[in-house]
Amino acid sequence: MPSSPETVRIGIDRVLCSGHGVCAQTLPRAVALDEWGYPIVVEEYVDPYDASLAVKLCPARALYLR
Amino acid sequence: MTDIVELLQTAGLTGRGGAAFSSAIKVKAAREHKARLIVNACDGEIGAAKDAWVVENHLPELLEGVELVTGGRRNAKTLFAAHRDSKTARRFAEAGLRVLETPERYVSSEETSLISLAHGGQARPMAKRAPFVFGGRDSQGKRIRPTVVLNAETLLRVSQINRYGADWFRSFGTTAEPGPRLVAVGGHVERRGVYEAEAGLRLTSVLAMAGGLAADIEYVGVGGMGGVLLTAEEVRSATWDGPGMKRFGGSMGPGLITVWNPRDCPVEVATRMIAFGAGESAGQCGPCMFGLPALSRDWVAFSENSNRETHWHLIRRLGQFSGGRGACGHPEGVVRFAQSALRVLGAELAKHADNSCTKAGGRSYAKLA
Repeated sequence: MPSSPETVRIGIDRVLCSGHGVCAQTLPRAVALDEWGYPIVVEEYVDPYDASLAVKLCPARALYLR
Repeated sequence: MTDIVELLQTAGLTGRGGAAFSSAIKVKAAREHKARLIVNACDGEIGAAKDAWVVENHLPELLEGVELVTGGRRNAKTLFAAHRDSKTARRFAEAGLRVLETPERYVSSEETSLISLAHGGQARPMAKRAPFVFGGRDSQGKRIRPTVVLNAETLLRVSQINRYGADWFRSFGTTAEPGPRLVAVGGHVERRGVYEAEAGLRLTSVLAMAGGLAADIEYVGVGGMGGVLLTAEEVRSATWDGPGMKRFGGSMGPGLITVWNPRDCPVEVATRMIAFGAGESAGQCGPCMFGLPALSRDWVAFSENSNRETHWHLIRRLGQFSGGRGACGHPEGVVRFAQSALRVLGAELAKHADNSCTKAGGRSYAKLA
């Protein structure tokens, strides 16, 4: 999803992230995981509803909106 | 007083610590937020030497730069950062300045590491959700006061621009990258040292100040651990400026050039540097903490036994770090170096793998400067 008024931009606090991998489940099209389970952001701009849910469900509180 | 921000804007000064960000924008934000200034004189990159040189030879001008940036604000509480027990730290202390002593680790002089240290935290990089010049919080929620970090040479240039004017400053360098800039030349040269250079020079002219590039030189590093490796032939045709270095995946960075000893096996030197880089991870961000040691292993595996599989593993690994996968630029820096080493050492890697390399193991790189 490209940047547009209907999308929001996600960011990851890499110090807080401990590789639970939940974001790859909540934002499957935007986030992939490396071999240790740390997120690779494939698409920064995502649907606002999906994003806010993903932020809420990040157990490390590392996922945030930029 | 002419407005210093405007003057810096006209002069086109950019940070000399490596990131080359507009000093005018930074100083303007620092003024607006009454940010505390940290002078970074750590020479954190491998082979860097110019910050120490500035402190040794131009401390009064540096302090003048500090005054200009802080607007002579009383109670500015400016901190002067240098590595613990270094000569630079002693110089600062002797001058009665507040010294911020950071451990002798690669990432401890990264700007957010210094900001963390100044707030009583560890000298490890912080995740930067917004520039700390505005103030903010660290990952644990601790309040970080507005703080700005400027490189020692940058402050020297601020005072020079104030004294001699923007036109004088712009009489050096190129339109896009104006001003005089220091470069530390180290390694296998006649006269190691810090020299006044400017963007747009031929790289060979920069090296000539240190005695020139000897005929038997094969490889030259630009920018240290976070920089790139060039062949001597590339050096002979390259210009010392952003576009000239970008051709090889690099930049002018923090201004340092290291001529590799032709008797040392370059693969061995590169292997040691990558291993060193992996060991210097602060261990905070997973992709760096796990990824860099894995990169180091994949590099060794490929250099000892180059085949399609080890090559594929290494290439895949190198591609895994892009897109800001750490709080700081360390992982990307090590990958940049490894990528350039892979690019220029092709033939050497083949010799290394079939054990026909007769050069000495490169133990001395970290001490080249």
